[in-house]
Amino acid sequence: MPVSVIKDFIEKSRLKSPWLVHFDCGSCNGCDIEVLACLTPLYDVERFGILNIGNPKHADMLLVTGTVNHRNKKVLKNLYDQMPHPKVVLALGACGTSGGVFREAYNVVGGVDKVIPVDVYVPGCAVKPEAIIDGVVTALGRLAEKRAEASASAKE
Amino acid sequence: MPDTLLFLLIVVPFLAALGCLLLRQEQLRSLIIIGTGGLLTLCALMLMASTPFSAAPKSILGISVSMLIQAADFFLLGVIGYYGYKHRNLLIQGLAVLQFVLLACFETFMVAPGKEYATFYGDTLSLVMVLVICIVGSLICIHAIPYMKEHEHHLQLEGSKQPRFFAIMVLFLGAMNGLVLTNDLSFFYFFFELTTICSFLLIGHDQTEIAETNAVRALWMNALGGAALLVGIMWIYSKTGTMDMQAIISAGPKAALLLPLALLCFAGFTKAAQAPFQSWLLGAMVAPTPTSALLHSSTMVKAGVYLVIRFAPAFAGTFLSLGVALAGAFTFLAMAVLAMGQSNGKKILAYSTVSNLGLIMACAGINTKAAITAAILLIIFHALTKALLFLCVGTIEQRIGSRDIEDMRGLLTAMPWTAVILVAGILTMILPPFGMLLGKWVAIESSSQQLFVIVMLALGSAVTVAYWARWAGQIMSVSSLGAREPELQPMLTRGPLAALLGGAVLLSALWPWVYNRVAGPGPGLANPASAAVMGFMIVVIGSGFLWAVNAMRQARTARMTRPYLCGAPENVEGTYVGPINQDMPVILGNAYFTSLVTEDRLTCWVNMGAGLMLVLMIGGAL
Amino acid sequence: MKSLFLALIGMAVAPVVGGLVSGLDRILTARCQSRKGPPLIQPFYDAAKLWGKEVTATNPWQAFCAVMYLVAAAASVGLLCAGSDLLLIFFVQAVGAVFLVMGAYAVPSPYSQIGAQRELLQMVAYEPLIILTIVGIRLMTGSFRVDAVFALDQPLLFKLPLLFLVLGYALTIKLRKSPFDISACHHAHQEIVRGVYTEFSGPYLALIEIAHWYEVILVLGLVSLFWATSIAGMILLVAATYAAEILVDNVSSRMTWRWMLGSVWLSGLVLSGINLVWLYAR
Ligand code: SF4
Repeated sequence: MPVSVIKDFIEKSRLKSPWLVHFDCGSCNGCDIEVLACLTPLYDVERFGILNIGNPKHADMLLVTGTVNHRNKKVLKNLYDQMPHPKVVLALGACGTSGGVFREAYNVVGGVDKVIPVDVYVPGCAVKPEAIIDGVVTALGRLAEKRAEASASAKE
Repeated sequence: MPDTLLFLLIVVPFLAALGCLLLRQEQLRSLIIIGTGGLLTLCALMLMASTPFSAAPKSILGISVSMLIQAADFFLLGVIGYYGYKHRNLLIQGLAVLQFVLLACFETFMVAPGKEYATFYGDTLSLVMVLVICIVGSLICIHAIPYMKEHEHHLQLEGSKQPRFFAIMVLFLGAMNGLVLTNDLSFFYFFFELTTICSFLLIGHDQTEIAETNAVRALWMNALGGAALLVGIMWIYSKTGTMDMQAIISAGPKAALLLPLALLCFAGFTKAAQAPFQSWLLGAMVAPTPTSALLHSSTMVKAGVYLVIRFAPAFAGTFLSLGVALAGAFTFLAMAVLAMGQSNGKKILAYSTVSNLGLIMACAGINTKAAITAAILLIIFHALTKALLFLCVGTIEQRIGSRDIEDMRGLLTAMPWTAVILVAGILTMILPPFGMLLGKWVAIESSSQQLFVIVMLALGSAVTVAYWARWAGQIMSVSSLGAREPELQPMLTRGPLAALLGGAVLLSALWPWVYNRVAGPGPGLANPASAAVMGFMIVVIGSGFLWAVNAMRQARTARMTRPYLCGAPENVEGTYVGPINQDMPVILGNAYFTSLVTEDRLTCWVNMGAGLMLVLMIGGAL
Repeated sequence: MKSLFLALIGMAVAPVVGGLVSGLDRILTARCQSRKGPPLIQPFYDAAKLWGKEVTATNPWQAFCAVMYLVAAAASVGLLCAGSDLLLIFFVQAVGAVFLVMGAYAVPSPYSQIGAQRELLQMVAYEPLIILTIVGIRLMTGSFRVDAVFALDQPLLFKLPLLFLVLGYALTIKLRKSPFDISACHHAHQEIVRGVYTEFSGPYLALIEIAHWYEVILVLGLVSLFWATSIAGMILLVAATYAAEILVDNVSSRMTWRWMLGSVWLSGLVLSGINLVWLYAR
């Protein structure tokens, strides 16, 4: 019984303490500013246990802004690989989701999902703080789903 | 029984030295060294059963002991004078002539046949010293067998100089045994000078220019100490009319004796390389590593602290005692700060030796029963650990060709076994529940009444932790995923290392017993690290250790990630892909605070400060 | 036997209280910044989540160091609760500090390496001050033991006001609060990422968080000794000190290690020197 209590608490905690790492993958900085705005007193995402932790090795969520270009796609992949499971990825802004207005540029890969699997797409140019918070909450749902899938496949 | 043991402990090394010189065959020499080491260890252990004892052997092999020593005294001074002449050093020549004349006057005019007394005496302090000398010293000599072979191979010498080297090494052990067991001041003087000569010869062994310079420096500094010792002895004799050390000590503090005792302390300070005399010990590291290990751990410098601790009861409670404590504590702090600015591994070890000896001196100066106990315990644990660390660095140096700690970064990959031993050795130096830290604990507790001493000890111990932890940390700094090759070493290299570490750990576990054995009965000697406290620590930290080892084993199977470099891609290990797709090396380095801790500039200030401390110490005796 | 019991209770209760104090810390910090802040038990959510994450490592030695850090921190709290020797408590917590540094050194990443070196400097800064405070307590009580403090009939604070300040200084460094969040910061706005913590992840970071709670309790325990004569005084003093720490943390910016070492050694030594001289002069 105590073991299952602890396990339940850990499962609950996963949703209560999403730590973010935010990566500017060639953004115009418009979206970046909005990400930081989430931390300000107006939005105060720490209410939900959200911390911008700045280090993939500690993070549960990767927030990517910007178009992703041929130079920094390896960095994006690296950061993703350094995050421990379970983890989710959010592509922020028009650029992050699809490459946005830069899509046709010669150096642009065009979207985070070309490099790593993306769980939640948050549109906007720039993306609104409310939308980011909404995206994080949706991502928490994805996190729970992923856990359920993982434990189901572990049982099989 | 003690007579036989005395003979074995003091005379046998002399004979073994002769054997090393005459029988120039390699296997035979190894056999002699291992045999002598084993015999000495055995005798030292047997001596445990028969302390305290006193003995007055009249003659060895039919020759009167005191005659022999007198003759040898003059011979030694002749040798010192000869080397002074050879190296054109006026100071050494002068000191040798001065001592020669003084000794001659002393022996012919002053010394009158007095009443009989024991010329040899053994109590706990001497016993501890004998054990340290015989066991640690022998292990160092044994480790030196494969080391010197490699060393000469590396230097590509024509004829081997090993017979001479090993002869002096074992002779040194005999000289030290004599020094700590004798109860006669004139014998003490002889053995004291003998260790000076031995260390001079060992430091200059490689006969390079720098080796000779440093050897000469060691000689003049120690000859200065020898002269101070001789004057002190003559002075004491003229006041008390006896050479019986126990009689002088047990008479308690006397105002008339303070100045000669201050001279004795001065001699101890030179021998223990206390600031401002640390430069000879720092220079000694040009010698092959076993020499440094021997000088730093079980012999030579320990003779200096032994002298001060031995005579401590004779100046207890005087200003001289406070002076010794202040000078010792100052050395402890200053040398720790200097070590912080070093990246040369051997120099860090050297500064740390001087620093720790300063702590021991400070204990001797605080001069309560508990402080003296702390000093003796520190001698034991310092000898074990410092010998281990020196031998490790020597072994590493022969393999990687550098003694710089920056080059030891990630040593775990290249030399996994030695690296782990080295890190464990460093941890026994700074952490509880190991002996060095427990000794420091007793030292700090007993010095709480001396404001300046305690402030310097507090500062020094913090700096000490920093420079050791830095070194240990970067040895384990590894990100390689490849399998490590097992490390191959000769048994004679590996055995002593394992034995020294095992000894340090085992004795730490036995701390309550060791403490009681050293402290003896008496009031005010409550052991802070009592059996209950040690039990708690060993159970909690020990089970934590097991958990940690287990966690480490599990982590081996975990998914490995690369070091965090802001996600910069990595094609080759230890590099990242930089501009125009070049592999840029990741270069890591420690801060050595060279703008704050400049060795030259700081040494100058430290020497001035330490000089003032010495003046204070000696002046306090006036 | 009784002291062993107390030690075990202390080691069991301390992380719970320490975690709550950390939660309170976060709420108060948020209020200082006119935010609402996380729930009180947020630190437990964080630790539990980290514990449940995938195990990744760069060097297995990190795992060893993280465990030893936690064990040493717990042992020092246990010794404090058992009323043991203050110097011993201090030395045992130093074991933890050394292993944290070694763990940070274990990975050749510039961020954790610089963090490790800075942490060593922080240790150099706070250790002498804590030793001197302990010596001051020894001069008052005649013993190095914690239980001797409880035998006094007057709060230590009255006789050791300057040493209390010095201790506050040292503890700010020990807890890595601004202006001394030099080696690592609890918030992610540092030039060296997260300093000594950078390379620990998942369960190992959870161990380190728990060890940090133990350290908070150790620190508050030391503070409480200065008003050991009444429970109310103890709580008041601890609360006031911790509130002051949080305030300082929020109103000051990060300083350089040079400034830290210089100012701390100078002012710390002068203040504790004056206070100790009063005691010697008695
Ligand atoms: S989506 Fe708009 S604001 Fe965001 S990075 Fe792209 S261009 Fe800038």
